[in-house]
This record gives sequence, structure tokens and C-alpha cells, in this order.
Amino acid sequence: MAEIRVEGIDKSFGTVQALDDVALVVDDQEFVVLLGPSGCGKTTLLRIIAGLEVASSGTVLIGGRDVSHLPPRSRRISMVFQNYAVFPHLTVFENVAFGLRMQKVPRERIAPRVAGAAELMHIESLLHRYPSQLSGGQRQRVAVARALAVEPEVLLMDEPLSNLDALLRLEMRAELKRLLQGTGTTTLYVTHDQVEAMSLADRIAVMREGRIVQYDVPLTVYGHPADTFVGGFIGNPPMNFLRLIVDGPAGGRVAHVGELALRAPDGDHDALVLGLRPEDLEVLVAAEPDAFSAEVQVVEPLGPHLLLTLEAATQPLKVTAPPDLVLRPGDAVWLRPFPKRLRWMDPNTGAAIVASATP
Amino acid sequence: MRHRTFYLALALIFCAWVLLPIFLLTILAFTERQAIFAWPKGLLPEAFSLETLRFFFGVQGVWRALRNSVVVALLTVVFALALGAPAGYALARYRFAGKDAYRVMILITRAFPLMILAVPLAVRFIDLGLYDTPWAVALVHTALALPFAALITSSIFLGIPRELEEAAWTLGCTRLQAFVKLVLPLALPGLVATAIFAFVISWNEVFAATILTLRERTLTAYLLTVLPDSPLPFRFAGGFFLIVPALAFIFAIRRYLFTLWGIANR
Repeated sequence: MAEIRVEGIDKSFGTVQALDDVALVVDDQEFVVLLGPSGCGKTTLLRIIAGLEVASSGTVLIGGRDVSHLPPRSRRISMVFQNYAVFPHLTVFENVAFGLRMQKVPRERIAPRVAGAAELMHIESLLHRYPSQLSGGQRQRVAVARALAVEPEVLLMDEPLSNLDALLRLEMRAELKRLLQGTGTTTLYVTHDQVEAMSLADRIAVMREGRIVQYDVPLTVYGHPADTFVGGFIGNPPMNFLRLIVDGPAGGRVAHVGELALRAPDGDHDALVLGLRPEDLEVLVAAEPDAFSAEVQVVEPLGPHLLLTLEAATQPLKVTAPPDLVLRPGDAVWLRPFPKRLRWMDPNTGAAIVASATP
Repeated sequence: MRHRTFYLALALIFCAWVLLPIFLLTILAFTERQAIFAWPKGLLPEAFSLETLRFFFGVQGVWRALRNSVVVALLTVVFALALGAPAGYALARYRFAGKDAYRVMILITRAFPLMILAVPLAVRFIDLGLYDTPWAVALVHTALALPFAALITSSIFLGIPRELEEAAWTLGCTRLQAFVKLVLPLALPGLVATAIFAFVISWNEVFAATILTLRERTLTAYLLTVLPDSPLPFRFAGGFFLIVPALAFIFAIRRYLFTLWGIANR
């Protein structure tokens, strides 16, 4: 058990800057997810912590120990790879025992520890098979069991579920969560799947172009995105961004959405971006005072709710509505935003304007 | 349907082209001396006999040449793998400046004609005291086999996912341990195939072997010098011995050759 502390990490591949002054602290026993689109540097950061890449500058501390210049074997980590990396010429038992043998664990203590790890991952019945006789899901179980068998201080996982099919991924996700809550191993987990990140993480670090743009608990990242990028990346469908004209005197600034005027945060902006999640609006079929009108363009019945694509104030908008609402393309609806869920952003930088959290 | 017949006939002709001489050679190496001159020949040998082979090995110098050939080929295998496999590993695993140029340069060494090299090499080997030894021939054969060894092993190592090594590092291995515990066992079939390939290259090479030896001939060099003055049965037996190891080896490694070059082997 140990904390991971990463300070001032830079990494460039030739002329490409993969990581730019990254700092990150993962507390002891915490589960942190590095989330971002492909090419944002999340895997590079993980590999630098593992010791598989060398940072151009910066330090990595694990459990207070500076490991920046240590090879992977001396960092007391273990890692689960995207394509499992199960050793094909060894049985499942030998795969799980591999790390223990390298640690020179006495022979008689290896079998019980392998059995323990196998039991955690429900692969007891597979111990004498070879990886080629296993399914993808089973191989991933073997990879996780192998990583846990050595009882690492830190567990690093690089998109471990992305090669599994959707149903299996759901199952493994829940299982990983149960497992790691039980063992209390400090875990850093890389994914580009925002649902995975939301479901697993104690905290999410959202990365973009080699920087961490937001690092917070999942509900804060979801509800209070640091900028338009985070709001657009997390959530399915993503957050809506409406560009609104702002006027009025200082202390009474107002933003206009169609016929509705919203109290806007103070400042000298002529325009602001309003971030609204699809569920942050109430859909009404008749005009009401604190709502603005929109025209229905597409109706997608998804089961638990309807997904509506609308046009409001000449801007596109996606909104969820109760499934029993009867709507056709071309119908007019009125939308009432929940006042506490309005997120204002700077139209130029995209950064959230924090004061608006409490209007 | 007519196309099918045509291609089938074509295939049969090509097969016969290759197989018939080998077949005749084998048959005649195992029949009595008189049968060699018999005409017309039956498809199967009339009387199986080791007389021709016994005669072949009775000739002075054959055993020695055979031994030299084996020694040279084994030395070639050791050198080609010891030098070629690390080069192949580097080509497969590391990024370095001039990598593509290096890859092409390896191949270009094969474009350099051996004839031009042979005489200066002979002079140099005389200076070094290597002339007329299996070492000299093995060194030249290594030069011939090395490009293939480097390129073939590089594709073998490329086929072994890097993550396996990385996983081994995170589980406590040094680079060398990871190589020995993971890469080596997984690459072994391919490395064996490369070794056999080098063996066959050396076994069949005749030009350098002829120029660089006088008394310590390899089998090919020896046969080339004595064949014109030899009786027919001796020629058949000699031909048989030149072909058989190469054929046997290629047969043994055909699976690896196919997988190596991306042809499914089902």
C-alpha cells in the first residue's frame, strides 16, 4: 500500500510533446482513473509510472520513494495490459506464479498464494490450461490474478477491459470494483471510456493534449466540468453548449436564450457559453414563463427515456424526455432549465466560470 | 473446368521437373552398378543395394570432406545466430537513427559478388593462417547467411508482443531474464528454422569453399573437383548426398517457413 506522487513530468517523442508538466497525487488505497481521448498522453503517463518509459524530466514517487530512475522490477508495482500479455507458453498456474517465483517466494508458499489469487478472479478451474485454451475474458482474469498475486503496492491498469465485448466488460467492471475495494490496493487505471471511469473511480483525472485538465470525484467532474472539453467528453450524449448574448448592468447581467432571460454571472463578457446536460432541462409541451421554445428535429426512443434532438435559438440541443411523451419532428416544445444546473463557460477559453455554481 | 485441367497439368509438369531428377538420383544411388546402365528403367529399383554407397564412401577423401562440410555448416550456424539474432532483436525492438537504411544495407551485402571477394579473402586468410581450414570457409558462409539470419530473426522477434516482455519486467525480471524466460522459448522454433536455413546455405555453397580450401575440402568442393573424372555410380551417390540434407531440412522446417512468410499452414 502506497501513494503515488508524480511531479513535473514532461515527455516528448521527437518533436511531439506527449506530456506537459504533469502533476498527480494518488492517495494510499485510492482508485484513480486517467481518462481522456486517444493520444492525450494517459497511457504514456501510466508507462512512466511503471518504468516502461523514461520521462524527459520530472519525478515519480511511490510510497515516498523516488523511483524515477529505477527499472520496473524495483518499483513494487504490477501492471495489467490492454492485450492481457498472458505468457502463452506457460500454464495459467505458472502465469500467476511467475511474479512470485521471480520474488523467490519459497516453493511451498507459492501454491497457496496462486490459489488465493485464482479464487479472487474465479479461475480456479483453469489453472492447468494454457492461455490459447482460454477466452478473452478468462485471459484478462488471469492477467489480473497474476498482477494481484505479487501483492503489489500499486496496481497499474492500461485499458484492461477495452478488448472485451460489451456484456463481459460490464461484468468485469463490477467485479474489478468489488475486488479492489476488498484488497485496498492503490490503483491507477487508464481508460478512454467515460462510463468505466465514472463507475470505477474514487477520483477521475481527465487528460487532454498532455495535461490534466480536471482531477476530482466523478460526480463533480460530471456535474461541474472544468471546461467545455471535459463537459463534452464526459456524458453520453455529451453536455450541450449554447452560445448566448449577455447584456445588462453590472450586478444584473442577463443572458438570452430565445424568449428566456437567464441571470448570468458578473463580468465584462458580451457572450457566454451555457453548458447544459441533456437531463438538466424539463421538457414542456406548452409555453410557460421560465422556459424557452425549441423545435423537435429527431425523436429517438431509447427505452428508459426519449432522446430529442432540438433546435433552440438556432443552436442544436440534445435533451432527454420522459418515454411517454408523444412528439413528432416539427413539433414545438418548451424547455425549462433547472436553475441549479446552469454551468457558465468563457466563450473564448472554454473554462468554467466558477462563481456561477451558486447563482 | 478447362482452366482447371490446364493448371493441373502445369502443376504436374513443374512437380515432375523438380522431383524426377531427385527421384532418379535416389533410385540410382541405391541400386547395383549394372542397373545404372540398364534401359529402359523401371519405376522402382529392381534390386535394392548399398553397393554404390559403399563404393562412394570407400573413395579416399569422402569421409574427410563430409566431416569438413558438417563442421563448416555448424560453425556457420553458430556465427550466424550469435551475430544475426541480436541484430534481429535490435531491429525488432529498438528505434534508432538509420534503422531503415541499416535494414537495406543488410540486404545489399548479398548484392556484392562473392567472386570479387574470394581472391582477396584467400590472400588475407593465407596471411592469417586461416587458409585451407574449416574456419575460413565458415567465416565466408557466415557472411552469406548473416543477412538472412538478421532479417528472419527480426521478423520472429517482431511477432512476439513487446507487452510480454514488459509484463515480465513489471513482474520482477531484468531485461536479460525476460529475454531468457519469455522471448527465447517463444522464438525457439523460429530460431531453429533460421539455424537450419544457415546450415543449408553453408552445405550447398561451393564457390567460396573451392577457392578457400585445398586439402580440407567440403563435400561440395570435393565433389566438384572429382566429379568429372568419376564413374557414374559415384556421381549418383555424391549427388544424392548433396541433395538429401537440404531436402530433409527444408521438409523439417516447412511449417516455420510458411508461418514466417505469412502463409497459413492449415
